[in-house]
Amino acid sequence: MMRRLALLALAGFILLPLVQAVILSFTVTLPDVELEQGTVGLMNYSAVLADSTLRAAMVNSGIYVVLNVVFCITLALPAAYALARFRFLGDRHFLLVILVFRVTPPVVLSLPIFILFSQFGLVNSPVGIAFVHCLFNLPVAIWILESFIRAVPRELDETAFLDGHSGPSFFFYHLIPAIAPGIGVAAFFCFIFSWVEVVFARILTVTGGKPITMALQAMFGFQTDIGMVMAMTCLSLVPGVVMIWFVRNHLARGFSLRA
Amino acid sequence: MAPHDNRAWFLLLPALTLLGVVGALPLLAVFNYGFHDIFTLKDVHWVGVDWFADILGSDRFVASLGRSLLFSTLALGIQVPLGIAVAMLLLGQGKGAVWGLMLVALPLVVPWNMIPMLWLGLINSDSGLLGPGLAAIGFDWKFTGWHTWALILAVDTWHWLGLVVVLAYAGLSAIPDAYRQAAAIDGASRWAVFRHIELPKIAGALAIVFLLRFVDSFMIYTEAFAINAGGPSDATRFLSLELGEEIKGFSYGQAAARATLYFLIVLAVVWAFVAATREREA
Repeated sequence: MMRRLALLALAGFILLPLVQAVILSFTVTLPDVELEQGTVGLMNYSAVLADSTLRAAMVNSGIYVVLNVVFCITLALPAAYALARFRFLGDRHFLLVILVFRVTPPVVLSLPIFILFSQFGLVNSPVGIAFVHCLFNLPVAIWILESFIRAVPRELDETAFLDGHSGPSFFFYHLIPAIAPGIGVAAFFCFIFSWVEVVFARILTVTGGKPITMALQAMFGFQTDIGMVMAMTCLSLVPGVVMIWFVRNHLARGFSLRA
Repeated sequence: MAPHDNRAWFLLLPALTLLGVVGALPLLAVFNYGFHDIFTLKDVHWVGVDWFADILGSDRFVASLGRSLLFSTLALGIQVPLGIAVAMLLLGQGKGAVWGLMLVALPLVVPWNMIPMLWLGLINSDSGLLGPGLAAIGFDWKFTGWHTWALILAVDTWHWLGLVVVLAYAGLSAIPDAYRQAAAIDGASRWAVFRHIELPKIAGALAIVFLLRFVDSFMIYTEAFAINAGGPSDATRFLSLELGEEIKGFSYGQAAARATLYFLIVLAVVWAFVAATREREA
């Protein structure tokens, strides 16, 4: 009985702000010529979808998050394999270095990142954001993949090599299928840290290429249509919720500190 | 035991190169800016350690540092035990646990700048679901310091509890049932089971939670700024809000010196923590 109550309290705590957002997203919150304030309906959603800047923001967010996940997984896989299977000079130092990068506050780096990226023409483009988010996502991807690869018995490597698979073909045909859930979990964590990030996203999008977070920010003004803001927020949750659903059974593998 | 092979470095090289470009280079640049007065990128003057001396000598810095440390302590003190408790609660739910995990993971996918907005909507005294009730009991987050603190802590806990739960649950569910059965036969108390079986098993996951939560709460900006911009009368003026002010005021040299200091503080804590964990393992 106590457990039930505790779980209910937890569900209430987590869901209340979201319920509030959903309610607002279906309500007219600004006086309108046709609709009275407080009317319930889908108009906020149709207003969001009719707005070309907001549509572009969704596309931008989609591009940079996918690119970021691709960069992180491709670079983290070989590194995680090396850390899981070999001992080498400085392996623990490497783990410590990536930990330091993961915990560097983004705001510390925002200024030089802006100067550096403007020299490469990566400002106002989703590609720039995808690169800079690797700073905190690559370490996470390495930790997660390392723990999954470590759980695969070494015999897998040995039989694959005896079968004549080596290098890339081993990676693609043996290792990746064996740790597919790990790749899913790593992609999930990269996604959640990148999709919702605001510091780098703000500094790197001055005039264009704005992702969802910044488009939402721009909707606040003298007279904010909070209903529309909440409709946009609710839409922005959809990909995240889908990701959670896909990795739900593997979410509980997590990652841990080895430094 | 894994074989020793230094060629493994070739596999780390791509990751290390990217981190060098987006991490190490900008860090070096920040250190360098911290010793200069920057009017424009072409008009830069060497000022030595003046900025550092200014910042370290100011009472405001010390006060903000104290507030940030207190906030991190409270955030960790609430979220880590609460997260472990929720994870244990879920562990007893069998197949239903997966729904609990999905539930607590939800706040993690909300855009950061909207999290304070969701909460401000919820406690809005006119239209919020909790607004009228909170107003009736005299909750005044705009003008009463500790109410603002409570609100920011609640928001931060809402946001990050999922991470603690997921990682703690991961560690707990990996413990074979035989361990718990053996402990039950020995007549171990619930606390003894937690202290000697469960805690050591989740220590690795907790270490990462601890560090991530420390850094993010220590450098909290988005929530704190959106909720009360450091007010009322500086009661929630955290370290990151001061840095934000300097960047907005185009005082780049001073901002860089401040950023360097913050980085060094974070680094010192991480280093102390890792050193302590290693000692315990050894």
